[in-house]
Amino acid sequence: MKTLGNILWWLAFVYAAIALQAFVPSVDVLTCGVILLLQERDYHNMLWFLPLCILLQEGMGTRLFGAAILWYATVILFFNAGRWLFEAKNFLFVFLLSACLGVAFYGLNWILAPLQNIDFDPQEALNASLLQAVLIPCIWWVLTYARRWHTAPRDS
Amino acid sequence: MTLRRILLFSGILLILFLGMYSWNQRTHLLDDMAARLGLEVTGELLTPLDSLLRQGKDLWQRYFDLVNVHEENARLHRQVEDLEARLLANAEDLAELKRLRELIQLPPMDAGWRRLGARVLAGRMGPNAVLDSITINRGYLSGGRPGTPLITPLGLVGRVLKASAHSAIAMLITDPGSHIAVFTQEHRASGILVGRGIHRKLEVNFVQRNSTVHADEILVTSGLDGKYPKGIPVARVLHVAPSDYTQFMAITAEPLVNLQRLEEVLLLDAIGPERPATFDGQPEELVGPPPPPTTTP
Repeated sequence: MKTLGNILWWLAFVYAAIALQAFVPSVDVLTCGVILLLQERDYHNMLWFLPLCILLQEGMGTRLFGAAILWYATVILFFNAGRWLFEAKNFLFVFLLSACLGVAFYGLNWILAPLQNIDFDPQEALNASLLQAVLIPCIWWVLTYARRWHTAPRDS
Repeated sequence: MTLRRILLFSGILLILFLGMYSWNQRTHLLDDMAARLGLEVTGELLTPLDSLLRQGKDLWQRYFDLVNVHEENARLHRQVEDLEARLLANAEDLAELKRLRELIQLPPMDAGWRRLGARVLAGRMGPNAVLDSITINRGYLSGGRPGTPLITPLGLVGRVLKASAHSAIAMLITDPGSHIAVFTQEHRASGILVGRGIHRKLEVNFVQRNSTVHADEILVTSGLDGKYPKGIPVARVLHVAPSDYTQFMAITAEPLVNLQRLEEVLLLDAIGPERPATFDGQPEELVGPPPPPTTTP
């Protein structure tokens, strides 16, 4: 019952994330879910959640397949590197992580554009990176509270 | 030792990734799989949300947003009268065009295309949506195959780039990857219309310097690229001048359709060219001037 509730919670999050992505272009809301799962060390749910994120982002995007794999690999790499130095559930850690991910977002755009023969617009990439960096802590904060609200009745 | 292992592991992963990327670039197998699964799920999730938002918007517009309705009604009445007058004036020309087409057995330009309505579910979605694009609620099972042109009553919107069973992503004409063969409507000067991004003007390339092109002239598809049917209005010319760098004209244009406020579009589904009814036989009646009277020596 607990596992089912957990899966339903994450599916609801995926739905909300896609709806948000439909209104705010060029940002990845699902990343916040990946960060939350990494913080909870919930690797069982990560096994289905991460491939689903990759499939959804690749499906709704216009890049060649592979960009989402690189992006989520970067998220996991940065998270694990940061965990050596900081307390992973701290807001400051998430803030620093989102800043680094913003830079990585810009870098990935820059690297992948010539691979697909697409014009790279530095201004647009910068705007998207800044938006991504700002959105991650905000959504993470909301998610953390929603998660507490979800798990509190069980814990009590 | 550990660092060496990490570097070795990272190198192997990078090689595997690049191998997968190049293989997919040639075969597009993974792209197709992602479109069929990821895009389909996204479309199915967005459709009820879109329906809900529309219902909310309709409710607002029907019951609450009644300010200036009377003035708007009077303005629309005047517009309808004006359009009816224009329609009557053009009816005779249309009848003549139809007669002439029948005479020379030329099918109408849009005979090989069927129009299908589609709703716009979203604009660019997610970090991988790097092209100017929209998501629509028709896929390859419902008329939205890759390559299908999208229009509105005002003009061309773009064409379908990738599709799942019931959803598709269409690239807009403002994207830098969009190249459309066009004519100017009045002087028939040909060129290639190229997008430069959603917030920037379009550019018309390869128009000869001796061509006559005026500002405010409408650009229509020429059909020479084989992607779009001939005669769809696309853009309005804004500025014309001889180019400082090339042997062609430097022309900027703006789309006729407001691409940032799209709600519904029409897909032009190709149903094959319509062949003239008596193409391989003799014409039913003689076309041309009357034969000269026979002369006897």
